[in-house]
Amino acid sequence: MRLRKGPPDFILFITTLLLVGIGLIMVFSSSAVTSNIRYDDAYLFFRKQLQWAVIGLICMLVVMKLNYLRIKDLAIPLMIFTLLCLVLVVTPLGIEAKGATRSLGVGFLQFTPSELAKLAMAMFLARVMEVNLDRMRSFTQGILPILVLIALVCGLIMLQPDLGTSFAIAGTAFFMMMAAGARGSHLGLIALSGAGVVAAAIAVAPYRMERFIAFLNPWKFPTDEGFQTIQSLYALGSGGLFGMGLGRSRQKFFYLPEQHTDFIFAILGEELGFLGAFLVISLFLLFAWRGFRIALNAPDTFGSLLATGLTTMIVFQAAINIAVVSGALPVTGITLPFISYGGSSLLFTLIAVGFLLNISRYSTYR
Amino acid sequence: MQTTNLQVRKRIATLFFLFTIVFLLLGTRIFWVQFVRGAELSEKALQNRMRDIPVEAKRGIIYDRNGQELAISISADSVYAIPAEVVSSEEARAIAAKLAAILDGDENNLYDRITRNSSFEWVKRQIQPEQAQQIKEADLPGIGLTEESRRFYPKNTLASHILGISGVDNTGLEGVDFYYNDLVGGTKGRIVVEHDAANRPIPEATHKYIPPVDGANLVLTIDETIQYITERELDKVFKERQAKSAAAIVMDPDTGEILALTSRPTYDPNNYQEYPAQNRRNYAINDAFEPGSTMKIATAAMAMEEKIVGPFSQFYCPGHIKVGKETIRCSGGTAHGNQTFAEIVEKSCNVGFVQVGLDLGLEKYYKYLHAFGFGKTTGIDLPGEAEGIIVPESRAMQIDLATMSFGQANAVTAMQLMAAVGAVANEGQLMQPHLVQQVIDKDGQVIKKYEPKTVRQVVSADTARELCSILEGEVTNGTGKNAYMPGYRAAGKTGTAQKIAPTGGYMANEYVASFIGFAPADDPRLVCIVVVDAPQGYPYYGGWVAAPVFKAIMEDSLRYLDVPQREEIDSTSPPTPEKVQVLVPDVVNLPLAEALSTIKERGLSAKVTGEGNIVWQQTPKAKTKIDLNSEVIIYLSPFEQNGENTEVTIPDLQGKSMKEVAKILADLGLHLLPEGFGLAYEQTPAAGKVVTSGSNIRVKFQPVGE
Repeated sequence: MRLRKGPPDFILFITTLLLVGIGLIMVFSSSAVTSNIRYDDAYLFFRKQLQWAVIGLICMLVVMKLNYLRIKDLAIPLMIFTLLCLVLVVTPLGIEAKGATRSLGVGFLQFTPSELAKLAMAMFLARVMEVNLDRMRSFTQGILPILVLIALVCGLIMLQPDLGTSFAIAGTAFFMMMAAGARGSHLGLIALSGAGVVAAAIAVAPYRMERFIAFLNPWKFPTDEGFQTIQSLYALGSGGLFGMGLGRSRQKFFYLPEQHTDFIFAILGEELGFLGAFLVISLFLLFAWRGFRIALNAPDTFGSLLATGLTTMIVFQAAINIAVVSGALPVTGITLPFISYGGSSLLFTLIAVGFLLNISRYSTYR
Repeated sequence: MQTTNLQVRKRIATLFFLFTIVFLLLGTRIFWVQFVRGAELSEKALQNRMRDIPVEAKRGIIYDRNGQELAISISADSVYAIPAEVVSSEEARAIAAKLAAILDGDENNLYDRITRNSSFEWVKRQIQPEQAQQIKEADLPGIGLTEESRRFYPKNTLASHILGISGVDNTGLEGVDFYYNDLVGGTKGRIVVEHDAANRPIPEATHKYIPPVDGANLVLTIDETIQYITERELDKVFKERQAKSAAAIVMDPDTGEILALTSRPTYDPNNYQEYPAQNRRNYAINDAFEPGSTMKIATAAMAMEEKIVGPFSQFYCPGHIKVGKETIRCSGGTAHGNQTFAEIVEKSCNVGFVQVGLDLGLEKYYKYLHAFGFGKTTGIDLPGEAEGIIVPESRAMQIDLATMSFGQANAVTAMQLMAAVGAVANEGQLMQPHLVQQVIDKDGQVIKKYEPKTVRQVVSADTARELCSILEGEVTNGTGKNAYMPGYRAAGKTGTAQKIAPTGGYMANEYVASFIGFAPADDPRLVCIVVVDAPQGYPYYGGWVAAPVFKAIMEDSLRYLDVPQREEIDSTSPPTPEKVQVLVPDVVNLPLAEALSTIKERGLSAKVTGEGNIVWQQTPKAKTKIDLNSEVIIYLSPFEQNGENTEVTIPDLQGKSMKEVAKILADLGLHLLPEGFGLAYEQTPAAGKVVTSGSNIRVKFQPVGE
């Protein structure tokens, strides 16, 4: 098949750059105080994030330039590699931090396989669904194999343990099944059983239970389980319309934990106010629009499903993160794509954008 | 060219629509948090980040009624630490060592404190000026000085129970300092600085200084001099008699103003930690006791108000009275015989009062009991006032009424008794006792004035006045003789009550001795109560233990207040012509005719009551000084009414108990005039003498072993 090659989606590209830029500024602003006191280096997190941003942007451009027709072929090897890494991470080779084993590698060359898993799953599912498109309305032939795969990948990730990433992957897969034409009744059933699994996961681990209870009434536990949510609301609430000014957050002074990762959006809301928060939400909405537009205009079903999966992956995480920060959902541990501190997350998110831009170059709509 | 599946395209559009809605909802949620709840949340967030350094207000001065300072506030420096600054200086060890040297403390202890995970720690409060100077010079990082005020009591133990104590954080803990804390304490100031979660100050932090407001000054009703006199005298008896506790109060009956109030044991509020905590208990108001005979004042007032008795109503006391199944005896089993109401008060005759009480009835008794304020706090402005315990009216039986009438069964506080007797001295008006006259600011401007407060009219002014003169007789002739002052006419009543054991029932050897009274009897200026709990040694009677204290306090206080003394008749001063006084002759046991002529010879007139030929008793007693032309009342023997005017030989009464003696003499138709307590050792006329029946036999008793 010969495809007409056009320019990549410029708006998506700019949106991505803006989000990455805002992310870098906010990582610096939110982490400077704590990293200065803890590591005697205010720029530590900023520098690391900048390095990963540069690497990520290069990777993004490389991926954008790949031959579209070759991407399909990457899906299966990437999936196998991912599964291998996920197994390795739960062996003693995994690097432990904050009570969970999530990374592999040495020194600077560390990466988080679960971040790769998000990307690999999107590609692999797009591939499987394209082939099985006619059978997607059948539960046993279309849906069940996918569910088994999700259970396998999520199960491995839960061994780390990492409920947030599992949830993000399962969510992305769910939306891809929806796009691929699964029956409404099947989707409903999956959503219900998914909720059941989440409930079970909450019930099994005491810390998740505490988080959930604290979500229902954070003010009842202001010093322990409800602490994060309350401090996050304090930060957002202090922002008002214009915010306290860039760099002038008060809550980042050790009050709000995870202030440069999971809760970076709260500091953003405190420093830049509703205008800043609204801008970021708008950028994600813009991203969703361009992403789904690329999916609609993709040259084939694989591209369409892949673009859907990657776009969903990013905006779904963004929505969950913002909901958590504003106290609308219990604390899950999902970061804000592009903006939260985290090398692997940023790298694989930018690679995902690279694929989206790649697909956009073959857009059928001019 | 459309190459993709139509179904897939529809679903993708749906997904976009879905996420659009999700992001709109999130935008709304953020808007709600940042705008609708923004003000509330940012205020809470600020509170959450603020750390306080307290700035103490100075407590107000406490003055006596004449402006003498009883409690003042002095400034003292306190050392505090900001642990975060200490830790970040990385010299915590050295700082702790220096502090230990200056403050004479334990280095490790101080190290723990100044590195504690908090925003603010007191290192040591209220240090000496030299220490403060050294700390200032040492200029240690994270260590600061702030001025705090501390109470100082220039008169040490004087009025300690009134003044109370105040704690190191400048709040009143006891006494008026506690009761009026809101006025005297002022308002704490604060320095508020925004801090990070590890208690380090934040750059560009919000600072606030809220200055303290100093407390207002109190002017007490206490008179320092009277307080001093009262404490001196109470102290004496407390130490001499090794009592468990004691209390004395002096009050102005017209206003309810307390001029002196003290309890024993006592303490020095400047270093109260060095005394046992129970020394701070204010016995005068915190504890209730069975009042004993002092309560008879209330019973008398009730009966007179209800016109059940008058001063000359006749009573007969055989030494005991049966109420239901119980028998109530006069103390020592004394049979007081025939007597007037005034005499049962003077002799503190239990049997007489039982009769009075029973005549009153439960309903009226309780009505007045409440009217006098028993069973309820008086409202004195001190913390922890006890209510006392009165037998619940619903459960009260005749026997309760009988015992209550002479001061048993109920428990009252010295303050309650004081207020009740104050009403008798104040023409029947019960005043609320109070300690604070006014509250003034530091320029002397009056902020608040406490006017005398009449609680209620308990009995009529006439009743009160009449009772006053009966109570004066009690001091002149009765059990309260030791309260008699040559210069002033005092009125009052003694009380001796056996203490209730914690297990119930009365304790054999523990008594509460009390005296309450006022002077001058015709226009009372001061009411004073003295209560001594468990005095050691004999005699333990209120008349012996408490009455002399009352006398000493009153004599000095009345003189101090320049209350004019009554004119005195004695050999050295010539009698004034218009008011010649004479001594009443002794006419007891004389034939009526002889008695009448003797009285006439002295320039007095006689009034005869009863029938017969021999004088049985007389009022006033022999050797009392009374005005020329006054009346002497002669009582004739009731035994003669039966015409049994026989002669009897007096038996030997030596070594017999008072009860036995009373019985032997009563059988012979003779009257017993007992003196003292215990066993008989002397009698007049002597054994073997022949007298006519109806004569009086004077028998002296003394306790065994003395």
